[in-house]
Amino acid sequence: MFLVFSAVEIVGAILTVTSKKLVRAAFWLLITLITISGIYILLRAEFVALIQILVYAGAVPVLLLFGIMLTRKKMLEESETSEAK
Amino acid sequence: MSGSLLTPNLVGLCRSLTEILLGIVKAIFDALSLPGLGSWFMSPGVVVFFTYLIATLVMVMWAALVNLLSVMWVERKLYSRIQDRRGIMLGVPWPWSKKYKRGMTNLGWGFLQNIADGVKLLQKENITPASADKLLFHAAPAIIVSSTIMVFAVFPFSENFYYTKVALGVLFVLAALSLGPFAIILAGYSSNNKYTLIGGLRAAAMMLSYEIPLILCVVAVVLLSGTLDPFQMVAVQERPLLGTIVPSWNVFSPPQMLGFVIFFIALVAELERIPFDIPEADAELVEGWTTEYGGMRFGFLFGFKWLRAFAGAGLLVILYLGGWNGPVFATFSVLGYPIPILPQEFWFLLKTYLVVMVIIWISWSIPRVRADQVLKIGWNRLIPLALLTILGAAVFKTMGWF
Amino acid sequence: MAEFWVNMGPQHPMTHGLWNLRIKVDGETIVDAEPIIGYLHRGVEKISEVREFQKVIVLTDRLCYVSSITWSHAYCLAVEELMGIEIPERGKYLRVISLEIQRIASHLMWLAAFGADIGLLTMLLYALRERELFLDLIEIMAGLRLNSNYTRVGGVRNDVPADFEKSCQRVIAHFLKKLDEYEDMMENSKTFLMRTQGIGKLSKEDAINWGVTGPNLRGSGADVDLRRTIPYEVYDQIDWEPAIEKDCDCYARSIVRMREMRESCKIVLDALKKMPPGPYRMKPPRRAEGEAFRATEDSRGEALFYVAADGDDRPYRVKIRSPIFCTLAAVPQMMRGHKVADVVSIMGSIDICVGEIDK
Repeated sequence: MFLVFSAVEIVGAILTVTSKKLVRAAFWLLITLITISGIYILLRAEFVALIQILVYAGAVPVLLLFGIMLTRKKMLEESETSEAK
Repeated sequence: MSGSLLTPNLVGLCRSLTEILLGIVKAIFDALSLPGLGSWFMSPGVVVFFTYLIATLVMVMWAALVNLLSVMWVERKLYSRIQDRRGIMLGVPWPWSKKYKRGMTNLGWGFLQNIADGVKLLQKENITPASADKLLFHAAPAIIVSSTIMVFAVFPFSENFYYTKVALGVLFVLAALSLGPFAIILAGYSSNNKYTLIGGLRAAAMMLSYEIPLILCVVAVVLLSGTLDPFQMVAVQERPLLGTIVPSWNVFSPPQMLGFVIFFIALVAELERIPFDIPEADAELVEGWTTEYGGMRFGFLFGFKWLRAFAGAGLLVILYLGGWNGPVFATFSVLGYPIPILPQEFWFLLKTYLVVMVIIWISWSIPRVRADQVLKIGWNRLIPLALLTILGAAVFKTMGWF
Repeated sequence: MAEFWVNMGPQHPMTHGLWNLRIKVDGETIVDAEPIIGYLHRGVEKISEVREFQKVIVLTDRLCYVSSITWSHAYCLAVEELMGIEIPERGKYLRVISLEIQRIASHLMWLAAFGADIGLLTMLLYALRERELFLDLIEIMAGLRLNSNYTRVGGVRNDVPADFEKSCQRVIAHFLKKLDEYEDMMENSKTFLMRTQGIGKLSKEDAINWGVTGPNLRGSGADVDLRRTIPYEVYDQIDWEPAIEKDCDCYARSIVRMREMRESCKIVLDALKKMPPGPYRMKPPRRAEGEAFRATEDSRGEALFYVAADGDDRPYRVKIRSPIFCTLAAVPQMMRGHKVADVVSIMGSIDICVGEIDK
């Protein structure tokens, strides 16, 4: 179990750093955070695990996405180009 | 006290069922003179595996099929009646009735309509927009569906009708429900559509800001009952209130009355029902963040909102309305097993469906609130009031009044 | 967030027909708006030139299927002036009755659409339920529900049956009770007030300058009702008063329409009482020459017809001025600075009908 969780977590963390699209990075971050909470459950720390899901998986990526979407100039690249035609 | 319908518990029942089934399998293999295979099926690991498999199936079927369809049916019938019409009426008549020869009729009570709609959605093509972010577009419904089903892993329907007993059950439910906003904003972004993007942003903003009063109200309840375990929370609410016959449900204690109202409003917002359904305001954003989804994917997103409504209403009942406590305690026994006439499951479902009906009633009689007004209500009114609730609960706890 | 254009239409739940509203949004705030129309152009004005005077009524009926009698009536008035004929008194009363019933039906359709727009679907079904009763009345009068073809050049198509007054009274007595209910649903609902009060301000001067007419102008506080200012038919003999609100916002426009429905009920009952016996129709001349211009108060505003003829049995030129076509020009100004969700409140409150815009 631990190996599975840690493997998913490491892959997710690497993809978070390397993916080119910021929204995908946030998605992989969510995967990473959820697997971390899985490891907490394996460590018999249920409360920390649930708080991890509630705060880190539930709220932090959403705030990140808000930040991404509110600061980027071009969100919908396809439609922006079609507008320009 | 009133007993539960399931006598040991759900997993225990499934275990005896599995043992019976695997006994039959073993007998078959013994008859085929393959005794090794038969005894492998009776080995403890296999039995436990099949037990949990069957228990999971039963729980998911019960939650996602029986209750989802019933909630949808109740909603569609009730709002039709509010709107002075009959609503869905598709049904199959009894075989002995004269209508039977005509097959399906439009004079039934309409329970089959939801199933027919589901079949229709299954037959439809799953369209993925060409410019969508495919991975995220497919991941979003999966996250929503799995996080909603996750709720029922710890959700107790009675003292014995549960899948697992977790000491932090209420927190688990809240955590599972809090995964929704992220999936919604993903769905909104990845569809590459302006309506879905605005809808997703609205949904995420709203759900985030309404989760805070929701959780603050739960904090107040936890302060008074001193536990995060739904079973103990219900047990605390079981005793009568100050020598009267009224049970000491949390809703009857003064600070929790306010908390109940706030929790209810926040719940309606969290479930995207009509006064707060700005994420999918159909008049301005077509279908909001679900616009680009088609076929059964849309069906999942659409149907699981009702399941979330059911889970939220159940949480409300556990926290404030005394869970599965009920006034009728009579039991009769069959073959030595006591079977309650009106079991705890009945009272729990009765209360939950009443709460669902009140939510439906509200959502079909008032217009939708504007996005900025929704957020204003959330941050300016509900959060200060929720903090006041915590303060009141703390005072009551310290003075030992309740 | 960057500013971007959002197309609301041509196929969008907000539009009530086939048109497109492009809005430029900065986040949720509307920076600019641009109505794009023309999807439903059928060339009514041009087709009218090849049809006889009576046969044009079929087309004017279809200018707005929600309010067909008022449009045909405006055309008939213009043609009658062109021909220089005076229709019988009973015909005038019957026209007034049919016009007001049609106005109530049209306003109920508005109420239904407005309710659905701001998220109150129950209002949609309630209002459509009551609209059926008035469509039934129109059916009793004209034989048809929507495109009734009732008003004719020279009077109306047929007289009403003997028990029409009784059925009108029954329907109106029932409807007035229901109208109280709807006003209750609007005025006592905090959510409704939040969505409509202070939204879509259009000052009196702006409204007059943009050419906004009808309930939208009266919602801005201008006392302009053609039934009173230039009385046609027998409106000057009937006891009623116009509905005027001074708030200039969506709520004022809604309340104007609700009060107009009450006034229309009064007009119908009063006209039924005062209606004299006699002929209801006269034979108009076949040919006409000259030009005529008449304005009437449609259920959405001032419907103006210009008809010119050169001595033939068909018009030489027909020009229609539709009220919502002009009102639509004022929409960008009403919308600037509001939120995306207010688009539906504003568009709902001005009661749009694409058929008459695109003609």
